Amino acid sequence: MEMTQQQANAEAQRCLYCSDAPCRDACPAHIDIPTYIAMIRSGNVRGAAEVVKTSNALANVCGKICPEEVFCQTACTRMKLDAPILIRELHYFATRSEARSGFSARRTPPPATHTAAVIGGGPAGLGCAFELSKLGISVTLFDAKEPGGVPRATIPSFRLTESELGDDLRFLADAYTVRRETVTPARLSSLRKEFDAVYVSIGLGLDRTLGLKGEHLQGVLPVLPFLESAKRGTAAVPDRVVIVGGGNVSLDAASTAKRLGAASVTLIYRRGEREMKVWKSELEEARRQGVEIRFMTVPVEIAGTESVVGLLCRHTKLSAEKDASGRPIPVDVKGSEFMIRAECVIIAVGQVIGSDLAREFKLTKKGYIAVNGEFQTSVRGVFAGGDAVAGEGTIVQSVAHGKLAARAMQRFLHDTRRASRPGHV
Amino acid sequence: MDETKSNTTPGELPLYPQRDLSYEFLGLRFENPFILAAAPSTDNLEMVRRAFRAGWAGAILKTTSVEGTRVDLAYPMMTTFTHEGKRLFGMGNIDLISEHHIDKVEANVRQLKKEFPGKIVGASIMAGKKEDWQSLVVRLTKAGVDLIECSFSCPQGNIGENPGKMLAQSISATETTARWVKEAAGRVPVSIKITPHVTDIVDVANAVKRSGADALTASNSIQALMGVDIRSFVPYPQLQGRSSYSGLTGPAIKPITLRTIAEIARHVEIPILGTGGASTWSDAVEFMAVGAGVVQYCTAVMHRGFRIIDDLTSGMAHYLDEMHFGSVTDIHRKALPHLADHDALPRHTVRSTIHEPLCIGCEACYLACFDGAHMAIDRGPGRVPKVDWNRCVGCGLCQHVCPVDGCIEMTLHEN
Repeated sequence: MEMTQQQANAEAQRCLYCSDAPCRDACPAHIDIPTYIAMIRSGNVRGAAEVVKTSNALANVCGKICPEEVFCQTACTRMKLDAPILIRELHYFATRSEARSGFSARRTPPPATHTAAVIGGGPAGLGCAFELSKLGISVTLFDAKEPGGVPRATIPSFRLTESELGDDLRFLADAYTVRRETVTPARLSSLRKEFDAVYVSIGLGLDRTLGLKGEHLQGVLPVLPFLESAKRGTAAVPDRVVIVGGGNVSLDAASTAKRLGAASVTLIYRRGEREMKVWKSELEEARRQGVEIRFMTVPVEIAGTESVVGLLCRHTKLSAEKDASGRPIPVDVKGSEFMIRAECVIIAVGQVIGSDLAREFKLTKKGYIAVNGEFQTSVRGVFAGGDAVAGEGTIVQSVAHGKLAARAMQRFLHDTRRASRPGHV
Repeated sequence: MDETKSNTTPGELPLYPQRDLSYEFLGLRFENPFILAAAPSTDNLEMVRRAFRAGWAGAILKTTSVEGTRVDLAYPMMTTFTHEGKRLFGMGNIDLISEHHIDKVEANVRQLKKEFPGKIVGASIMAGKKEDWQSLVVRLTKAGVDLIECSFSCPQGNIGENPGKMLAQSISATETTARWVKEAAGRVPVSIKITPHVTDIVDVANAVKRSGADALTASNSIQALMGVDIRSFVPYPQLQGRSSYSGLTGPAIKPITLRTIAEIARHVEIPILGTGGASTWSDAVEFMAVGAGVVQYCTAVMHRGFRIIDDLTSGMAHYLDEMHFGSVTDIHRKALPHLADHDALPRHTVRSTIHEPLCIGCEACYLACFDGAHMAIDRGPGRVPKVDWNRCVGCGLCQHVCPVDGCIEMTLHEN
């Protein structure tokens, strides 16, 4: 829900306008939050939107779905007095208002001195492309599909509307030239010659599997194709659906299945609610839709002969030992098997890189593209960022990642030029 | 303290062009209409530097005096007028002029003009005797000051023969002293800072005009008693059981200042530097619309810092675009043709209209009208009040107690 002018004013008046504001540090894109809130307060809503957009290229998308309870609002000083400022909602109010009344004219970017190819038009690619254009680097954006990445492909439309993403893409459109093509490893080599620098932001996109018996059965769906078809309007669900996985994507799938008409939707997660790393708004939405969430539950086997008839599960308990994320490791409780009857099982247990391009680079142990502190991959002149480097993250983190990489690319291009100058050793 | 961290976005590339807000006033080039008033914020070289870097167009350095002038400060000196939880709705101070005498201030003027040739560096002065006034002026002029402001109106009193009284409360003393200053200032513009605490502000403005001074600064803080501790009975600010009257500034005095500027602008042809209660860009629009040529800020900066300039310039630029104005000078005096004496106001039939879909049913209008106006609003079904147009006189009270923007409107009716 978008705030009214009066609500936005009242909320903005609560802001303490902290010096060196902690909210700004907590925002991955470092939006100058107190300044834009002061602008809303003074009635300069257009100025407020400009402050947001100066730091975040996907302003309307983040204004709508950024998990404020993870970032800015966790740092709000006002919380120590009463309750945090509704920072995201004020951001959304400002950028929606600007989108409706027409984007502000931007300053002419500096004349292009270099060229860059950005592979992948998701949040990281768009963040990088936008920052590069501000730096006077001419950008060509390669994507097999229309730019928009995860927000376009799989974030359900009940969370993010076509117009919110569309407004951001409309705003960004003159920052780059789009080429609709799939970049193959061979094509990457030619792009390296054609452009001064390359940024790889190919995301993840391939669902992990469970490796359980019955995973081949009809009715077992990886979550990403399911969400994509739901967004296209071609998905259908049977009466009973089980979702395996305890992340935001699983909650999206659960809420979507319910909205598509499934009579019962059960989500199973191997740990407890406290360990679930999801956003409050997502969990609330799933519960509002009537999704049943079974904590401390792991899948054992998918039952059925040709089609799924159910999911055999087992209860877990949390051990004292903790994993890399700092959460207790769940262990199966022997003999606790039980069956959840369902005609569809959706697997949402994380993703890996789907693109062939990954093979061209040195990868991390987890299978992501390895980069150094300057976002450089093992291939000279090729930079990378976003989920393909950092693993599944939020949109704002990817935008910020792309922005930082753009600065690193500029430093690289600047140094390369100096190094190639005659007489320079 | 890390300066870049406290006031500006570190390293963010600018995305939007900055609109040129510059214009001429008093023969000087102002890069925007926002300058700092003579106050604590302008008493320190480093602070003025930061303000200039942040984007302020100019500053009036805190009021200075000749060497040897006794400046006997008492602390604490600041008080807030907190209205229903809103701190610094008004601010009270028992500050005096700067402890920096002219030797220090003339050096600051030289330094600032050297570092920031494009900024307006003004200085405020106060003295008693003619030779002191004139020596201050001569020394500042030699230092390269752009503008001299004379404090004739510090509520904590003056230096000289009648220290308890403000100079600007005497028509003849105002004219005489202003003439001394202007004589010594030569081509450097002189503005006389006046007080609204007079019987007729127009008489004072005329006296300044007769003196030959170039402008008026309207107006200084309002003499006030900030409050009384109802258990100890010591008023605020409290200095070991004693207190004194304060100079009230901030949003609370804006309507008084607007009236003062408007009244001068309607009757006397003299440039006005507006000050007293402006905190936002839209306040500056209002000040300029009633006749100010430039607007000075003080309390808002003391509350929120120099960084408020970002919103002032951005908000003003967007306002000019929205209004299709070419320059801030297009705002100048725009409100004055709409001002009239009470007997010249139109007499139409006006009635209150409640836009029912917006009504939230608090019945604040009903209560206000029932106990404070004409008992013309009745309680309606579903808590939506009904206006009885036979009893409604169109006073407008209900519109202003209504908590919903745009819910109650005063509509014009044929007689």
